[in-house]
Amino acid sequence: MATTFKTITANDVTNTRTLLHEAIPLTGTIASGTYNDDNIKEFSHGMFQSVYDYPFLSSSANHIFDVTHGYSSESALSGASSVQNSKKINIYNQMASVLVGHDATGSIQRFDQDGNIAAGGAKLNEAFFLNFSRLLSKDEIKKDSFRMSFLTGGTPAARTDALTIGDFGASTSYLVNSPAGEYGILYTSSATPNANSGVGLLYYQAGVAVLTGSIFDGDMGPGVTSGSYNALATGSNINVVADSIRNRLVDIDFNNTVELNSTIYFCRANHNEFNYSANPTYLSSSQIRVKNTTSDNPVSYITTVGLYSSDNELLAVAKLSEPLKKDPNTELTIRVRLDY
Amino acid sequence: MAFLDNSGDIILDAVLTDTGRLRLAKGDGSFNITKFALGDDEINYELYDKNNASGSAYYDIEILQTPVLEAFTNNTSLLKSKLLSISRTNLLYLPEIRNNATEGIAPNTTNNIVSVAVDEATVTSLEVNSVLRAGIINGFELDQNNADTRRLLFDQGIVSNALGDTGKVALDADLVETQYIIEIDNRLGYLANPDGNPATASFVDDDNIASYFLSLTTNSEYFSDSTLTSSDVLAGPAGYRLRLLVGASTNLNSSTYLFTQLGSTSTIGSTNLFHIDTTIRVTGATTGFRVDIPIRFLKQQ
Repeated sequence: MATTFKTITANDVTNTRTLLHEAIPLTGTIASGTYNDDNIKEFSHGMFQSVYDYPFLSSSANHIFDVTHGYSSESALSGASSVQNSKKINIYNQMASVLVGHDATGSIQRFDQDGNIAAGGAKLNEAFFLNFSRLLSKDEIKKDSFRMSFLTGGTPAARTDALTIGDFGASTSYLVNSPAGEYGILYTSSATPNANSGVGLLYYQAGVAVLTGSIFDGDMGPGVTSGSYNALATGSNINVVADSIRNRLVDIDFNNTVELNSTIYFCRANHNEFNYSANPTYLSSSQIRVKNTTSDNPVSYITTVGLYSSDNELLAVAKLSEPLKKDPNTELTIRVRLDY
Repeated sequence: MAFLDNSGDIILDAVLTDTGRLRLAKGDGSFNITKFALGDDEINYELYDKNNASGSAYYDIEILQTPVLEAFTNNTSLLKSKLLSISRTNLLYLPEIRNNATEGIAPNTTNNIVSVAVDEATVTSLEVNSVLRAGIINGFELDQNNADTRRLLFDQGIVSNALGDTGKVALDADLVETQYIIEIDNRLGYLANPDGNPATASFVDDDNIASYFLSLTTNSEYFSDSTLTSSDVLAGPAGYRLRLLVGASTNLNSSTYLFTQLGSTSTIGSTNLFHIDTTIRVTGATTGFRVDIPIRFLKQQ
């Protein structure tokens, strides 16, 4: 019986899972300077800034991360006299609610320095939040790949004291007690990781870095002529605080992860299959062009593989980069991978 | 739709078709790959030089250098020609599917295309001495097309008589086509049997292309009673004749909207008409051979 289709059996299909990683290097100047802040989008509500890789009015601009700042209502910085006090508390609570969760009474838990929430301990009451776009973080940030450098000292005009922060050792020591997935503790490169040396938290699947404000010991500016992080956090609005951390950013590097689920179809053409063609040029007055006599082998050339449903609808198609010769002397297995 | 880079290893460029994505999005289990076919759309077998003086290695050198286009996603535009599995290797002739425009409906002599009148007024306006002009199907009342000269006929068999004359020598049983897939734009028309009874589409895809699956065992009214003993388009062993009609959709019957969107205007005799040109594709589900028939839907202005 002549046929154009071949059934795919259970032995011809397999599923695989692959983790793909991309290196994401972000230079600090993209966040402050390269485009004269035309790539920094501020909103009328003033609760965060969005950083783009190109002036955001351009259709080719991509959103890369957001910057915001907040503190807990239990922070020493919280007070009626603080600028945008309620918004800073709201931001902190929103992020904590999503990333840390609630306790048994339904109260929002605060960010914990060592991640051991149940044990209490030091809390990160004041924090910067860097929320990375899914375009960059994809399915998750790869553990122990995140490095971020700041100039934490000096003045806005003369920044000093480079400090590299990273999730050192996180590939074997990440935490899983967050409702937002896995997270690691951010340490300074100069500190030996221990329970009390964390300066922030990195949520891998959520793509959020939480950074304590206390690492900045210099005059952060702008908007404050002199003074510490504390003065800025209480005396300026969120946009100005975000300006300050952008101004001190040197670079950010990490690898993202894409979880690729694939179905592989092995399309097997045996020696006695697919040797003829229904191509309109295959026949001349019904005679097969590639044969002179009946004893010549039929030949066909494969350029396309079509995957069909049982009702003959074409669901997926694969093209070979060059024609593949098929005759009774050859058997082929073409491996078609569909990624999801 | 660029060419694929063929400078290195053979690679596969795979995509889901629009229908594939539609079914995947439905999430109802209809995205279920159960079989595969191989195609050779880009290949021109006329380039096979079996008399090349340099030897057999050069017979297909031009074919093997054919650049291959990227995959694209329109399900009805891909795998137009499929490769065929026949366990025997000693075949020198293969049967084709030919539109029989001699015994069946022939293109209208005015516009040189088989046409379908979509409503009663159009049928009346195209009558000469109360008979609809030749080459036009009454798409409004299909049962009025009661002669083969008003029907689309497709004969399957060998064009040449090198193996013997039609009716004298039987076509090998494994080469007789007994199943067809007919595709037509569902917005414009529908398929019907020779008596004018509409067929049920197996599937209408996202581009409004309806696929009708006809089989000798379950749709015998579309097939000749037996394999052909004569045909004006075949000279050799033959299979069955497929007979069918095309009706006009309600949209075309009741509105000029699609005509103004997709069509143009023309004149037959003194009748000014809207028209839409489309194609009906007839594919042998067993042998993979296929024929495209241009069709024009007509509506009086």
